[in-house]
Amino acid sequence: MSAPCGRMASRSLFQFLSTFGRTALGNSGLRHFSGTSARRVTAQSKVETERASSPWTLVAAVCLRRLPVISADCSPIEEEVRGMLQQVEFEKSILSDHELRLLDDTERMTRKQAEDYDSDEEDVRKDQEIVLTQDLEDSWEQRMKTFQPAERFRDDVDKDLTSLERCLDSSLLLLAEQEVGGEKMWLLPQTQWQGGETLRQTAERALASLPAAAFKATFLGNAPCGVYKYKLPKAARTESTVGTKVFFFKAILSDDSPPADPNASLLWVKKNELQRYLKPAYLMKVEPFIIGL
Amino acid sequence: MSVALSRCIGRVLSRQVASSSFVAGEQHHAVQSCWFVPVMTLKTTAALRAVPQKKKKKADPRIEALVRDRLKKKLRKLEKIPPEFIPIEDFITPSKCLDETRQRSTSRLSVEESERRALLLKEWCLYKQKQHMAEVESVELALKAQKEALKELKLESEELYQAALKPDPLLFPFAHEGPTFTPPKENYEAPDGKYVDITKVYTQ
Repeated sequence: MSAPCGRMASRSLFQFLSTFGRTALGNSGLRHFSGTSARRVTAQSKVETERASSPWTLVAAVCLRRLPVISADCSPIEEEVRGMLQQVEFEKSILSDHELRLLDDTERMTRKQAEDYDSDEEDVRKDQEIVLTQDLEDSWEQRMKTFQPAERFRDDVDKDLTSLERCLDSSLLLLAEQEVGGEKMWLLPQTQWQGGETLRQTAERALASLPAAAFKATFLGNAPCGVYKYKLPKAARTESTVGTKVFFFKAILSDDSPPADPNASLLWVKKNELQRYLKPAYLMKVEPFIIGL
Repeated sequence: MSVALSRCIGRVLSRQVASSSFVAGEQHHAVQSCWFVPVMTLKTTAALRAVPQKKKKKADPRIEALVRDRLKKKLRKLEKIPPEFIPIEDFITPSKCLDETRQRSTSRLSVEESERRALLLKEWCLYKQKQHMAEVESVELALKAQKEALKELKLESEELYQAALKPDPLLFPFAHEGPTFTPPKENYEAPDGKYVDITKVYTQ
């Protein structure tokens, strides 16, 4: 813990000195700069020495999620309770202005139809045209009918696993078919870690390197959300590589992402469809951090 | 300034005298003597343009101070009154709602209906409890998975572990449009709407 603290302290001290003018503390500032760069070089080599000693290869994968676009349908009990609450709300309410107008209109109609009707008794607004509330309601209905909303569920699109528009009421995960150890399999897009970058940057690279797809995503934090480690078969094991550790990073697909062309090697699946594509051991490690559907 | 002016006038007069004596040399002494005015005899009076000023009363500054003190006392009295509270519009029932003509003529609930509602609420309570427990459990599982991942990362390399622990300053503010009832239509132009904001703004 002390080593990184020292590094951070020296870096902040350098910034502090540089703001006070390099001319005044020219020499000492330069000395500090060389000090931090030297320390940074040693840090990188330290990582490499650390990595060289460890027998695990590091791989970062991205768990890209498209959040739901429309609200899901209610379950039966939810529907019942919703209906009941609406009824209760209606019973406890009082008449609104619009409803009062409706009642007034009906009353006036009944009075007009009565035989002993005297139009002078009523305070007729001669300059104002009396618009019946019912007519207003009808005109609103007509305007509503002219608007056609988009369909909520489209079966043909739902069945197409490569389309981003499928199953709009649930969140979808991106799966890619990648080659691992000479075998092609479906997994969350991943790529190997390279020296000099953090694991999150590796995950961003994994997303960017997907074929023919420019996804704009927001990565949720620098920390991985899950890990899957596997050992290579005994034949492939060497002294330096025993197995691989795959670290997963969560990301959310942005709203303004450009529409991707349907690509056969990329799939958008719901959580309950994952078991068709992922290996069981892998799925066991991936399922916990996919919260929800 | 008047002295300088008189000196100028004197110089002008003497110059005139010199020029006139040159031109008309044979002139009479008497004519020259009335033009020649010795500068020393010129007298100047005080500046005659000012209006006679009022005499300053010594009691004035005292009266001004008293007036200022009185104003300050009044200000302090006004400030002592606690400021009026801004009324919360939602808590004040508008008088329109208390109108009797607005009562709905609803029939009484039957026994079966009230029973049905009570049982439905009980079922709902159980459903929501199960939902909440499931949510809490899923969050706990996710946290467990993350802890395991960080533990494995620490075993691998300290530097990467520290980088993973750092908070991401660019994540917030994070905004995402929530789910709507129908999906967005392509190439849809919403009609122009207009609304007049009549919220009352109070100042304290």
